[in-house]
Amino acid sequence: MKQIDLTHLDDLALGSVFLATGGGGDPHVPQLIAEQAIKTHGAVSLITPDALDDEAFVVPIGNVGAPTVSLELLPSVDEAARTIDAFEAHVGRKVDAVASFEIGGGNSLIPLVAAAGKGIPVIDGDGMGRALPEAQMMSYAIAGVKPTPALALDYAGNQATFHTDTTEVYERHIRSFAMAAGGMITTAEHAMTGAELKRSVIPGTLSFSVKLGRTLRENRGQAGTLLNPLQAIFNSSIYGQCKLVFQGKVVDKATRIVGGYDVGEAIIQHFNGAGDPLKISIKNEYLLATLGSKIIASVPDLIVIVDYETGAPINAERLRFGHRVAVFAVGCPDFYRTPEALKVVAPRCFGFDIDYVPLEEL
Amino acid sequence: MRIGIDVGGTHTDAVILEGDTVIAATKALTSADVISGVTAALDEVLKQSAVALTSIKTIMIGTTQFTNAIVERRELSKIAIIRIGLPSGRGMPPMVDWPQDMVDAIGAEIYMLHGGYLYNGWPITDIREDEVKAAVSDIQQKGIKNIAIASAFSPMNSAPETQVAEKIRAAIPDARITLSHSFGRLGLMERENAAIMNTTLLPFADNVVSAFLGALTKRGLTCPAYISQNDGTLMNADFVRAYPALTFASGPTNSLRGAHKLTGLETAIVVDIGGTTSDIGVIQNGFPRESNVIVNIGGIRTNFRMPDILAIGLGGGSLVSGDGTSIGPQSVGHKLVTEGLVFGGQTLTTTDILVASGHADIGDKSRVAQLKSDVVTQATATMHAMLNDNIEMMKPGGKDMPVILVGGGAVLVTEGLKAASTLHRPENAGVANAIGAAIAQIGGESERMLSYRQTPRDEAIASVTRAATQRAVNAGADIKTIRAVDIEETPVPYMDEGATRVRVKVIGELAQ
Repeated sequence: MKQIDLTHLDDLALGSVFLATGGGGDPHVPQLIAEQAIKTHGAVSLITPDALDDEAFVVPIGNVGAPTVSLELLPSVDEAARTIDAFEAHVGRKVDAVASFEIGGGNSLIPLVAAAGKGIPVIDGDGMGRALPEAQMMSYAIAGVKPTPALALDYAGNQATFHTDTTEVYERHIRSFAMAAGGMITTAEHAMTGAELKRSVIPGTLSFSVKLGRTLRENRGQAGTLLNPLQAIFNSSIYGQCKLVFQGKVVDKATRIVGGYDVGEAIIQHFNGAGDPLKISIKNEYLLATLGSKIIASVPDLIVIVDYETGAPINAERLRFGHRVAVFAVGCPDFYRTPEALKVVAPRCFGFDIDYVPLEEL
Repeated sequence: MRIGIDVGGTHTDAVILEGDTVIAATKALTSADVISGVTAALDEVLKQSAVALTSIKTIMIGTTQFTNAIVERRELSKIAIIRIGLPSGRGMPPMVDWPQDMVDAIGAEIYMLHGGYLYNGWPITDIREDEVKAAVSDIQQKGIKNIAIASAFSPMNSAPETQVAEKIRAAIPDARITLSHSFGRLGLMERENAAIMNTTLLPFADNVVSAFLGALTKRGLTCPAYISQNDGTLMNADFVRAYPALTFASGPTNSLRGAHKLTGLETAIVVDIGGTTSDIGVIQNGFPRESNVIVNIGGIRTNFRMPDILAIGLGGGSLVSGDGTSIGPQSVGHKLVTEGLVFGGQTLTTTDILVASGHADIGDKSRVAQLKSDVVTQATATMHAMLNDNIEMMKPGGKDMPVILVGGGAVLVTEGLKAASTLHRPENAGVANAIGAAIAQIGGESERMLSYRQTPRDEAIASVTRAATQRAVNAGADIKTIRAVDIEETPVPYMDEGATRVRVKVIGELAQ
């Protein structure tokens, strides 16, 4: 793929919900913004990390805050490009390309809005390969890219700049600004050179999400018939294995907000009520799948819940009692299986007292 | 006594209820002008029952006319749309994601103004009087009378919507205005969509309501008339003139509510078997379980709640494979009476299997005498397996649940259903939706985002309940009988602890 145009957005958004593993927010509004931006400014060129100059200046951009808020406080088409403008003025340097924080959910689309508005390319890749709840879990941060200088812009053009040592501290500060600004902001952060990007990015995920969305759309129907087409594309990607681990209906789902995160679990029972139910542990994303006492899949591998009838992925906020679903598990990119990555994304980092075992070994 | 009328795409059903007893019922074809079909159905039940007109105390009508007008893009009036939310949402005007033919059909004038609120009660920015003035005078100059107004977070603070509405009324006294917060739910674009669809239907709603009331008066029926809305509750006629969009999903809801009334079961699976599909729904506490999926009406996203229905391709006209192992989803539909084998046609349908199995005597049974008995046995087993499997999927948990069969195709179920704890085939099941309309109560609903830190939980729920109650009273409910039937609290992630979406639904009896 050389560029992203209007014809790719439905598939990109659909693929991004699958890769969001229950989190990431509904990409509907970000998709509308991207459509408006591409209608106004034209298609966005896509650049693979390999093709990037080592000296190039790249900045990841996206929304930070509560997706629920942007259902009312609508984002603006020019906000992402204005954020880059302000960031450039702040650091005194032109940005050559933008990148995505996370491919899962709405933040897969915001860099396209910035790229279209600025007339610069977007990197084919992201900082997670999925969705994860905290900035320090981004591959950029794990690989040692500094979070700041960073700049955030709100709906009215109010801006804040940040200078912190660590991504953990940055994350706390940016969240307070998001709350003060009405719940949703756009940020440019973890700026880096082309050389740094090449060793810290999860490559190819933007074009892969388009391909995944197309596969889901073309094979729309009962979850079982999706498995082969999904395996065909995951096997030849940076993800690897894809398993259909369970089919049934949600008999219980309870979450509550702890420290700003939606934490809890969903219980899924076989349609005929027989056998052990599957337990999905949730912290914004689906993080752990347990059948009886046996772990079926765990973070950082991907756990995805789809509608049983259509194969459409369902995010955790929308998952409800009575939903008829199928559960897929997908291996995570190798980057997230390195000791450095597991220090921040292993099951223990989310409060589960277990060691990470890769999906293929479960 | 009450009369219930359900105007569907194909049939117009009518019933007369005395207390809980059906004393007359009929099924007529829906006429192109709708009203003559309603009149015919009305005449038929009045004739059957021979009751005095004065003993009819209320009439309830369910209608798909407003949904059809949206889907078919007809009867839509030119409107103005005012969005109050700038500087948020720049470049994201109303109807940005609508199908172009619908945008063209309405031909709206759009005004985007500064103002609105944030989730925590701070203003986005102040309303600008000059902007409001300019918009109002432009609307006035263009001669537009129907206006939709939506502002950010209006379910929590509706002041910007009401302020602008007052300015419009002062300048255009005969303006008809829909305020988006009347549709309650959070989601600015979806709520605005509902307000736009509602506004563009206002003149048509006047015609429909006047035609209904005219037909009743002509028959000498002077009692109050009500129209069913999405959640199985009623609105009085004047309310429908202002909120036609609230009727969009009343059809399936009435069928489920009717099945509840016919059996007295509070919790059950309802299988409505028609000519082409079986629609499987769930009643809980006597009301339909609602779907949580975003609902598209005529290609437009809305946040209306609709009943959770699983439709499978099994009905009285469904095609059966030569060996009986595969049924549907293709169906001969209403052509069953010419294409089915027993009617002299060439297509093997589920109705032919039913006749061949000796469970029904329809058409010419000699025409299915040559069907092999193992094919008939197999096809019968296939039909029952399809129903059992899909009923299992709709059951909440693995619990035993009774199953109620309604609809003309219910005769296809000749054996028990193992997915059902008990199987119910109520009398008058064919007109369940008209009965559902006849028994409806009055409801109201409200939703807000609140912080339990700022507002204690009890107080928060009480305030949302008050808003829902007010809505029910406005729609015609007796305030003394109102009770909350559903309280939903959804914590909002990435926000302050305690930030919660609270939705309350109340129901009450019709005020006398």
